[in-house]
Amino acid sequence: MLGPSVLVLATFFVAPLALAVRDSLTSWDLLSPPVYVGLANYARLVASGELAALVGRTLQFALVVVSLSMSLGLALALALNRPGRLVAFVRSAVFSAYVVSWVSVALLWMWLLDADQGVFAAGARALGLGRVGFLTDPGVARLTLAVVTVWKITGFSMVVFLVGLQDVPRDLLEAASLDGAGAWARFRHVTWPLLRPTAAFVGTTSLIASFQAFDVVRVMTQGGPVKATTLLVYAIYEQVFLDLRVGRASALTVVFFALLSGLSMLQLWLMRGRGGRA
Amino acid sequence: MRGSSRRAFVAGASLALAGCGRAVGGGRQRATLWFAYGGKNREVLLSLVARFNASQARYQVTPTYQGDYFECLAKTRTAIYAGVAPTFTHVVGEVRPYLAGAGVLEPLDDYPGASTLGLVPALSQRGSYTGADDQPLWAVPFNRSTPLLYCNAAALDAAALSPPESWDELVAAASRLTTRDGAHTTRWGYEVPIDWWFFCASLAQAGGSLLDATGSLSLGGDAGARALRLWQRLIHDERSMRPPPGRDYNAWQATNQDFLAGRAAMVCTSTAFLRYMEENARFSVRAARLAGLVRRAVPTGGTFFTVLRGAPPAEKEAAWAFLRFMCETPQAIEWATRTGYLPVTEDAVATLRRSGHYERSPNDAVAQAQLGDAVGWPWSRELFRVQREIVTPRLEAAVLQNLDAARVIADARREAAAG
Repeated sequence: MLGPSVLVLATFFVAPLALAVRDSLTSWDLLSPPVYVGLANYARLVASGELAALVGRTLQFALVVVSLSMSLGLALALALNRPGRLVAFVRSAVFSAYVVSWVSVALLWMWLLDADQGVFAAGARALGLGRVGFLTDPGVARLTLAVVTVWKITGFSMVVFLVGLQDVPRDLLEAASLDGAGAWARFRHVTWPLLRPTAAFVGTTSLIASFQAFDVVRVMTQGGPVKATTLLVYAIYEQVFLDLRVGRASALTVVFFALLSGLSMLQLWLMRGRGGRA
Repeated sequence: MRGSSRRAFVAGASLALAGCGRAVGGGRQRATLWFAYGGKNREVLLSLVARFNASQARYQVTPTYQGDYFECLAKTRTAIYAGVAPTFTHVVGEVRPYLAGAGVLEPLDDYPGASTLGLVPALSQRGSYTGADDQPLWAVPFNRSTPLLYCNAAALDAAALSPPESWDELVAAASRLTTRDGAHTTRWGYEVPIDWWFFCASLAQAGGSLLDATGSLSLGGDAGARALRLWQRLIHDERSMRPPPGRDYNAWQATNQDFLAGRAAMVCTSTAFLRYMEENARFSVRAARLAGLVRRAVPTGGTFFTVLRGAPPAEKEAAWAFLRFMCETPQAIEWATRTGYLPVTEDAVATLRRSGHYERSPNDAVAQAQLGDAVGWPWSRELFRVQREIVTPRLEAAVLQNLDAARVIADARREAAAG
C-alpha cells in the first residue's frame, strides 16, 4: 500500500534533494564537467555575508507575511462567519485574490504602485509624504512586496479559519455567554483554543508560501532595488539561471530546505501547544 | 495484449523521436532555432524563417521562442546538458567567449562561403572584440545594435534645444526638459536603465576600458568612477533623471514606456527599438548619438547566431544555409529596416544608401553613423562573470544610494582580482 507513495516521495523529493546536496559540493556551470570543491560553496556564502543577508531578508519578509495574513485572515473570518448574501459576496471577493495568477496580480500592483503615476503615489503626495518609491526605494520595496503577498493570500487564510470556526461547538459559546463571558472572553477562552490546530496549519502554509516567494519578485522587482527583494528562492534562480553557478545555487537550496524545515517544525510545535496538546 | 500494445507505442514513439532533428516530410533536412524576444522582432524573424523555408526544398528551419536573452541562454545551456539542445540559437556578445571556452560552439570557418559573407567589420566577430584575432569564427552577426539617444522632438523644440553632444550639455538639457508640479515630477528630462551596457558606454566615453594593458579588470579606473558620478549627479543633484524600476530587460521596457507616454523627454536605449518607438510615439522621435566626455563611444550589443557543436552534421549544414540566407542583402535589409537593428553586411548598407533610405529615415542614418564610435569588447572568458557578478550588482547600489564612486570601482577591481 505504501509503495506508490514511497516511489513518488523518493522520485520527487528525496532524489532531487540528494542531487542538490551532491551538486552543492561542486563548482559547475552545466557546460563543463563539475569540479569537487567540498564545502567551499557554503564557506563562500557565509564568508561573503551573502547567506546572512539572504536569510535575514527572507525572514523579515516571512514575518510580515505570516503575521499579517494570519491576523487579517482570522479577523475577516470572525467578521464574515455569518449567513447573508452580502457577507457571502464579501467572502468571495476576498478569496478571489487568491485564485488570480501571480503574474496578473503583480502587474496590477506595479501599475498601482508606480512612483510617479500610481494611485498610491498620488495618495502619498496628498499626505505630504513626497515621492515614495514603493518599488524603487531599497528601504520600502521589501515591505511593499510583503503587503502585496498578504493581499494575495489572506483570502486563503480566511477560508481555512472559516472552516475551523464551523467546528467550534455553538453550545460551548452559549454556555460561556450564560456564564457572563463577553465577546473577547469567549474568543480567548473558547474559540481560540479550538482554532489552534487550524492556526497551526494556516501559519505553516503561509510560512511556506512566503519562503517560496518567486513570481512576485520576478515580475515586480527582479530582486532589486539594491538586492532589497532578493529572497532565497529568487537568489537560487539567479545563481543557477543567470550566473551559471549550479554549485552555489544547490548550496542555497540545501540551506533553504534546512531552514524551512526547522521553522515549520518550530512553528507547529509552538502553535499546537508545545507537546502536541492540540 | 495490453503489454504488447504498450511496447509498440514505446517503440513507435522512440522511432518518431529518433527521426526528430534529422529529416522532415519530403526529405527536407531540419534544423531547430531557439530565439529570444517577442513582439515586432519575433514577427519579422518568423516571416524571414518562413521565406527561407519556402525559398528552397532542401532545408527546413523550425523556430521556437524562448523568452528574453537570459532565459534563452539558460534554456539552451540546460538543454545542452540534457542532450536536447537546438541546432542553433543566438546569444549576446558578452557570453560568447565563455561558451566558446566551454567548447559548446561550432567553429564556422570551414563552412562554404564563411569568408565571403561581406559583414560590416564593426559588427562582425573580429570587429566586435579586441584580442579575438586568433579565434575561429564562432558566430555570425544577427540582431546587432548600439545604445542610442531618443529625444522627444516636440519637447526639444519647445525648449529650443538640440540633442546634447557632451555630458555637460546632457546634464543641462535634462534639467531644462524636467517639468514639475510642486514636488511631483510630471516629466523627467532623461532616463536610462542602470545597466551594464549603458555603464560601459559611459565608461568608454570617459576614456576608459574594462581591462587594462595587462588584461586585468580595471573598469576604467577614474573613467569608471566618472561614469557612475554622471548618473549620481543626474539623479540626486539635478533630480532630472528617473532610474527606471526593475532590473535587466524589465528596466529597459519601463524606459521605453516612460518615453512613449511622455514621462521622459530623452531616453538612452538600444537602436533595436527604433522602429517600435517611431511607430508608437504620439510625437516625433529624434535619434541622436550618445553624448561624449573625452570622446564619443558606444559598445555594440545584440546577438550573434551560433551553431551548437553537439548538433548532428546534417542539421548544422541546414543551420548554416539559413545563416547565409540571413546575410543575403534582401534579408539583411528587411531585418534592419523593419526592426531598427543595424544591417550586418556592407552590401546591405550600400544598397540602403543608394536607395535613399537614410535620407528618408534620418534616425536610421544617425544609428548607422554612430557605428563609427563603436568600441570592442575584450575577448575574455571572464567577461560574462565580470558583468553578472562584479559590475551589475554594484551599479544599482552605487547609483541609487549615491555611494563613493571611486571606492565602488576599487572594490570591484579588488573582488575581480581575488577571483
